[in-house]
Amino acid sequence: MKDAENVQLAEALAPIRDMVKACIQCGTCSASCPNAFAMADTPRRLWRMLQAGEVQMVLKSGSFTLCSACYTCTLRCPRGLPLTDAMSALKQVVAHQDALRFASTTLFYRKFMESVRRHGRVRETEFMCLYLTAMKNPLLPFQFAPLGLKLFSRKKLDFRPPSKGGDARMDALFQKVHELENAP
Amino acid sequence: MNPEAGEILVVGGGVSGMQASLELAETGHDVMLVERAPYLGGLVSQLDHQFPSNHCGMCRMLPMLHRDSGEQSCLRKGLRHDRIHIRLSTDVTAVEGEPGNFRVSLRKAASCVDPIQCIGCGACVKVCPVETPDDFNAGLSMRKAIFQAAPFNMLNSYRIDPAACTRCGACVSACPTGAIHLTDADRGAFRILVVDDEQIVRDSTAEWLIEEGFAVEKAASGLQALDLLGRSSYHLMLLDIKMPGMDGVEVLKKAKDIAPGITVIMMTAYATVETAIEAMKSGAVEYLIKPFDPEMLLSMADKHYQAFVEAADEKITAGAIVLTGGAALYDPSGDPRNTLEYGVLPQVVTSLEFERMLSPAGPCKGLLLRADGKPVSRIAWIQCVGSRDLQLGADYCSSICCMISIKEALLAREVSGENLRADIFFTDMRVCGKGFHRYKELAESAGHIRFIRGRVHSAIPEAVSGDLQIRYVSLSGIEKEESYDLIVLAIGQRPHPDMPRLAERYGFSLNASGFAESLPFSPSETHRAGIFMAGSFSGLKDIRESVIQASAAAVNASRTMSVLSKSFPQHLDTKDIPPFPDVSREPSRVLAAICSCDAALDVCMDAASVVQRLRQDPAVQDVLFFNHLCAGQDRESLIQEIRQRHPNRLLTASCASCADIFQEVAVAAGMDPRLSVTADIRMPVLCAMSSSKALDTAAKMQQCADLMNSAISEGLVRVKHADAVKPSETAVTARALVAGAGIAGMTAALAIADHGYPVDVVERSDRVGGNLNWIHHTLDGHDVQPYLEEIRQKVESHPRIQVYTRAQVMGVWGEAGHFYTTVAGPDNSVMQFEHGSVILATGGAEASTSLYGHGTNPAVLTQKELETALHSDALASRELSSVVMIQCVGSREAPRNYCSRVCCQTAVKQALALKSQYPDVRIYVLYRDMMLYGFSESAYTRARREGVVFIPYSLDQKPEVVPAETGACVRVFDPVSDRRLEIETDIVVLATGIVPAFTSDDGDIFGVERDPDRFFMEADAKWRPVDAMKTGVFGCGIVNAPLTISETVASAQAAAMRALRILTRTTLASSRITAVVRHSLCSRCQLCIAACPYQARVLDTEADQIRVNAAMCQGCGACASICPNSAAVVEGFSMPQLFEMIDIAVQ
Repeated sequence: MKDAENVQLAEALAPIRDMVKACIQCGTCSASCPNAFAMADTPRRLWRMLQAGEVQMVLKSGSFTLCSACYTCTLRCPRGLPLTDAMSALKQVVAHQDALRFASTTLFYRKFMESVRRHGRVRETEFMCLYLTAMKNPLLPFQFAPLGLKLFSRKKLDFRPPSKGGDARMDALFQKVHELENAP
Repeated sequence: MNPEAGEILVVGGGVSGMQASLELAETGHDVMLVERAPYLGGLVSQLDHQFPSNHCGMCRMLPMLHRDSGEQSCLRKGLRHDRIHIRLSTDVTAVEGEPGNFRVSLRKAASCVDPIQCIGCGACVKVCPVETPDDFNAGLSMRKAIFQAAPFNMLNSYRIDPAACTRCGACVSACPTGAIHLTDADRGAFRILVVDDEQIVRDSTAEWLIEEGFAVEKAASGLQALDLLGRSSYHLMLLDIKMPGMDGVEVLKKAKDIAPGITVIMMTAYATVETAIEAMKSGAVEYLIKPFDPEMLLSMADKHYQAFVEAADEKITAGAIVLTGGAALYDPSGDPRNTLEYGVLPQVVTSLEFERMLSPAGPCKGLLLRADGKPVSRIAWIQCVGSRDLQLGADYCSSICCMISIKEALLAREVSGENLRADIFFTDMRVCGKGFHRYKELAESAGHIRFIRGRVHSAIPEAVSGDLQIRYVSLSGIEKEESYDLIVLAIGQRPHPDMPRLAERYGFSLNASGFAESLPFSPSETHRAGIFMAGSFSGLKDIRESVIQASAAAVNASRTMSVLSKSFPQHLDTKDIPPFPDVSREPSRVLAAICSCDAALDVCMDAASVVQRLRQDPAVQDVLFFNHLCAGQDRESLIQEIRQRHPNRLLTASCASCADIFQEVAVAAGMDPRLSVTADIRMPVLCAMSSSKALDTAAKMQQCADLMNSAISEGLVRVKHADAVKPSETAVTARALVAGAGIAGMTAALAIADHGYPVDVVERSDRVGGNLNWIHHTLDGHDVQPYLEEIRQKVESHPRIQVYTRAQVMGVWGEAGHFYTTVAGPDNSVMQFEHGSVILATGGAEASTSLYGHGTNPAVLTQKELETALHSDALASRELSSVVMIQCVGSREAPRNYCSRVCCQTAVKQALALKSQYPDVRIYVLYRDMMLYGFSESAYTRARREGVVFIPYSLDQKPEVVPAETGACVRVFDPVSDRRLEIETDIVVLATGIVPAFTSDDGDIFGVERDPDRFFMEADAKWRPVDAMKTGVFGCGIVNAPLTISETVASAQAAAMRALRILTRTTLASSRITAVVRHSLCSRCQLCIAACPYQARVLDTEADQIRVNAAMCQGCGACASICPNSAAVVEGFSMPQLFEMIDIAVQ
């Protein structure tokens, strides 16, 4: 069973592995990454794991979820590798492969996009309400409270309820993306 | 230039160009050396110090035999050789023809300063108002628009930078000798006469032309025009047809009588076009219809100007061409990312700029100071800037930057002291040349240079201190920050921007990266026959490689000439010296002839004091002054004066470059040239004038006069005591011996035999071919076996090559030009040979090992065993799922402290081969530094793309190999993922490196020393890389150092070239300065034999005397200083001479 899973995962990761095969482990990406301090495994180590075919380790690591897509590593990589794309591809693969573990992270993304779909931009208040409701954890709002108050005091948050339902102008776009993503 | 001499054109006067020229000149070819810059030396002239000695050693390129045919002085000052014709500031503008008959046009850029008249006083520099960055100091300092192109140059006259000069003319009036002619520049030399009676047409036409830089004069009538034509010369005349008095057509006819060469363009109104057409029959070339616009006029003028320039081009023919155009360096400010902010932050410099900062002649006068004046105490070198960067399209390694950085770090510590922190940030330290690894280890241990594996992407300046903050991650992923005063970028190579144009002009091809492409297996040959190349033209090379390749290119160019003319180089006889009267018993009677270099030196020469000082010495018979002693009337009158006055010695005082002319003068006047001495009075003047000491003009002039006086006095001492000793000669046996018949031995033998000299090749084993017998293809994908077969057939069918297999050289006696060799053949036979020179090409082999279970575990192979297995059934029948390669097995650590250069390339080659045979095989390469230098880097990239995994290991955490069911299990710590890996593998491949087949007995037999790694020890690692210290013995191929096949071929051709320098002569004469033995004083203590670095001294037991081989003696004086009895003397440096010269110097 485990082996079959491994094979399936390796297949899913193969295109990402191809992206970083030419890496020479110079470390430019890791030294450039603004989030590397918080990662258990630096970007360079992730590429190494991919090269060596250590698929389970990649999955376990999860450091790629911290990528904020600033593209600094892509800009600076002397090998010209699409590192940010690789990070985002990793996120997509594990979102499918290990849905349970990354449930809260993917939920965060989904609710974010839901708000975008409705309004063409994110409405922070609505987005957080959607997210916190979906998480079904009564204690969770308290964790975000200090940040929310800080943002509010700086007039970064709008507590007015969002206009009802939006006007669905973004639906076509999202529909198309969905089709493309699920195309064979 | 002598058109019959079969000359060869060398384009580019850097180290490679100079080396190729010297090689060809020394084998009897006339050479035309063309250089675009106003000085020779190329990139190296900007580098004061070179690995491994950290000093300059350029002069070691100079001929060691027949040294008198070239100037024996610092090559930074200039090069002079009887057979080398040098054209500086000159470009090749056209090339056509075929091997044996290339027709070439050369164009010299105008310098605006007459080099003969310029005395280098620098008065022009003081008044020049224009300041512009100094290229020689890599733009770090400023210079004026009139400047000296390179410090140290011998005839370092000033020149004008046409791009910067505003033509203000301040320098013209400031020049005391009238040496500056601003009008000479470009279009200013093209003189145009505008003839029109209408003032408005005349003036506006002239104005347009003057604005474009032409020299223009105007005439208002036909008569005035003819008058001007009679008085000075013009290149182009714009002539109106309809003029009162004499009309244009009449003027044209008369003008053609006065100045037949002049180009005439008629100016006409529309109505008189037919007259204009008529005028063309009388010699006008074109017509302009009035009114015309400036573009029309200027394009026409420019067309005739171009024709004028082309007509002025020097036309030569050349039998072969050697291109040594070098490469450009990467400019980091051109990178749109430029995250290191080069060009923005003055604390970030390139490696070339740093070399200039280190130079005493550089912008910081040799003190390491930052642009803001802060002394530098922490420096970081950042490797691979512009190299190994796919985003910049640079899928190559620039080969030389690693060594440059190590050298610079060591030099910086020498300059700034022990407290300087020097850190080198690298990805792979590619120290894969001869002696490089030891140098790096020494830099790390004794030099305290820190080597940090990590790539630095950006530098952030601190606001107040200006120090630079950098961030990098260690291999294990720990983020680190450091602060530095200065960051040096190890910039890589770029092809010269002109390369596509050059490729088209000369007809060679370019590789994917834009550098010149060579034939497979022969790096000095281009795809076009008769055109060869050397040095960085095909990618950056260090000095050693450039010198080797230049010699190889020279031998190929020379071979082209030999093959085409079906005649071989004439034996070069030493100049016949007729017998001269013996004056050794006469008291010295010196005639002193003093030259003022066309009156240029008059301003600072005090003739009265010169005469007075010379007259103090009773040996001086006459003192004569001349204006231009080296040519024409003055030269003839000197000959006459000598004939009339009968001096027995001649002292000339002039510029050093004329020394050989005065030797000829002496011979013409019936004097022994060895009794003629030239005192250089030009150099002291140049030195004094350009010294930065704050002296007023009068004081400087006085200083010049004093220096000239002492130079003349020194010359007098030398000539007064000069001895006319006839140089001894050794007869040359025109035959060569090559030991070893691998690819190196065979290539060398072919190069020599193609020049017409017989070669004996002695091979230990029973077949020729050496290591090539087991190699199937190269990393570039070229098939080795057909190439080997081709060479083997050429050697075996060559009428002048004799191969002896299963034979071994037992003893080599004798000296350069004439060796006696004993060879033991099969079945105890013994053969005797005589040779003029000996080439050692005994090669080497893959080192054997018992590490990692080799020999006990059948799954563990060496690279050679894998190569064999891949091409036999041994592997073909097997399923392979995993292969581990371990690099540096027993290499780059004691006792084999060197890199074998080829193993990393081999590993990548095999990995790619395995991947194509077994696409699913997993390959791991465990390495310390991947040495994929030059364009082989692209194969490294390819291997990674194919999925080969490269894992670095360090010496304290070597991999372990244990037997396992499948074959073996390899345990290795991977620092990147920070854990130990266990790799189950089918086979383990060990890169054990190369060991030379060169025992200490071999060393004794050939009189050659071995280096610390038991390879052939060359006379000088950089400048004489294939010569042994013993003259006449050469070493090439992997007995000299580990090399790839094409590098081996180049080194073999280089060795052949060096051998030909001896073989092409019938006798080897010593130079004039050699050591002699006074046998009556000699106690035979033999201290001198041990002291002689050239093995030129032996104890002749039969005569019971110390004998000096005059051809091998280099006149260094080591024997003279060690001899306790003053029995060893260097001619020209006798005790009385030296003491008197010291007296003069301290006066």
